[in-house]
Amino acid sequence: MSTQSASQTLLPRSDEARLAEQAALVRRLRRGNAIASSFLWLITMVVAVAFVAIILNILWTGLPVLASGPFYGTGPEGIAPELFNTFYILILTEIFLFPISLGAAIYLVEYARQGRLITIIHFAAETLAGVPSLVLGMFGFLVFSSYAHLSISRLAGALTLLCLNFPVALRLFEDALNTVPRELREGGLALGATKWRTIRTVVLPSALPGVITGLILTAGKIIGEAAALLFTMGLFNPADVFTLDPTIASDTLTTRLYYLKGVGAGTTGLTSTQETALAAGIAAVLILLLLLINIAARSVGRLIQRRITAA
Amino acid sequence: MQYSQRARWFDQLARMVFFLCAILLVVVIIAVIVFVGSKAFRIFSEGGNPKTFFTVDNWDPTGENGTPAYGAFGLILGSIVTTLGAMMIVTPLSLGTAVFFTEMAPNWLVRFLKPLIEIFTGVPSVVIGVLGLTVLVPFLTRVAAPITGGSQTGGYGWGAAILVLVIMVLPTTLTVAIDALHAVPESVREASLALGSTRWQMMRKAIIPAASTGLGTAVVLGMARAIGETLAVALVLQGNSLPQKLFSLAALFQPNVNITMVIARDFGETSGPAQDAYWTLAFVLLVISFIFICISRYLASRSVYK
Repeated sequence: MSTQSASQTLLPRSDEARLAEQAALVRRLRRGNAIASSFLWLITMVVAVAFVAIILNILWTGLPVLASGPFYGTGPEGIAPELFNTFYILILTEIFLFPISLGAAIYLVEYARQGRLITIIHFAAETLAGVPSLVLGMFGFLVFSSYAHLSISRLAGALTLLCLNFPVALRLFEDALNTVPRELREGGLALGATKWRTIRTVVLPSALPGVITGLILTAGKIIGEAAALLFTMGLFNPADVFTLDPTIASDTLTTRLYYLKGVGAGTTGLTSTQETALAAGIAAVLILLLLLINIAARSVGRLIQRRITAA
Repeated sequence: MQYSQRARWFDQLARMVFFLCAILLVVVIIAVIVFVGSKAFRIFSEGGNPKTFFTVDNWDPTGENGTPAYGAFGLILGSIVTTLGAMMIVTPLSLGTAVFFTEMAPNWLVRFLKPLIEIFTGVPSVVIGVLGLTVLVPFLTRVAAPITGGSQTGGYGWGAAILVLVIMVLPTTLTVAIDALHAVPESVREASLALGSTRWQMMRKAIIPAASTGLGTAVVLGMARAIGETLAVALVLQGNSLPQKLFSLAALFQPNVNITMVIARDFGETSGPAQDAYWTLAFVLLVISFIFICISRYLASRSVYK
């Protein structure tokens, strides 16, 4: 290109010819730009339309089911036990997950010096985040259900979910703590407070919105998980499911959905149409929960921004 | 004096507790590797043969058809084909969308797309699987009828699994790719535009090369997610072995197998040597995803902008 234009300048040529050449170049570049732009528009629209269509389809087929009474009952076509179990396992998991991962995040952000230890822990977190949830479910079955004699129980399920969501929660809480300005910590320490007192009275309150956002986002992950629970919490409920007993097996919305359309299709005592309707209803409930969680996390996030800009 | 002593003691205690929390993470991942690894090689002393395990397609650990057989070639091939097939669709889609999102999208569209992507990242895989089963499989059964000869189960199989995986992996890849493109400083864009390049030239010659390692990380993380994806894929595969004619288009449109599906379906009902065979499969998955994570870390360590 450059040699060509150099030789062109040596030749005596009319201004018109040069102008026409430049105009042609500009046209070519513009055309390339236009083609590429419209292509990128097209790709993005395809992706966006697919996403929206999927969500609308789930809601569209599921919402009529949500209007029926037996759907919320305890019968074979009701989801009351699964709804209860889902929230039970959510809270039980967060009882382990929240303090442990927040503690780990505090150590990494506030205490640990930059160095090999941080690298090792971050590498461990990334590796654990990459382990397929199905494999973690098998691990939970082996370690918690068999070796720790918890059998197939809610507790084993919650501990497996702890392992599964630990890296995600750690990342979220680390981000939350990192948004707290350095000066706040220095102020606390300069007043003679110990490190722990500074964290407790200065850092954590400032990071609170971010911590709550993290809590909400991990809640979404826990509600949506199924593969890790197949072998640790089972697919069936005992007769008396509405208890706080953590040693019983139970299913959740997601594992029930898998059972209905997967391994258990045709053995649930429901007709095929009923199964499909129930599955559509459960899918819609899950999507609605997810939307709710997202809106909640978003509004807390906005609160952070308001705080930062106000401060 | 006593107060400050107690405060210091508390400080040390807090530090210790937080340290234990952080170390727990390392303990968990080591435990996963050790425990899954400890089970992984048993099958080879219980009748399994390492060579036939990876090269023969005959998976029957419970011995339903006579003697137990541990040939996992079909399962492994299924995981590889579905993962690669999905990534062939996901890579152009997600990179194109990511470039559009960061460089071209008008503000109103960004405000609409951003929450959409975030919501989609969290859609439970079983929900996508059920949707695939109720919408995609009947659709594919009709569309692929000329290829499959009107088979009733023509909608199941690798084709459906690939499409379901695309939906499951796309948000992950897209998010990481967008982060990588956002990490390229504004000055790179300004420099490129100031030299007179069009927007497309800027993207192709400046932004994408500058973010290339980050975009590579996005694809690799997507593959890691795809290979471990379970329930969505399991619901639309529903086969027992590889199809007869493997090298034909019809192979995409009949019930088929992969690693995660057989584990999800059968692991819970087995014991003894049969179960050990599934542990070997789990270890294969673990090793593959570990390799992917190492590749993504290597790419990330080489990236200029973080």
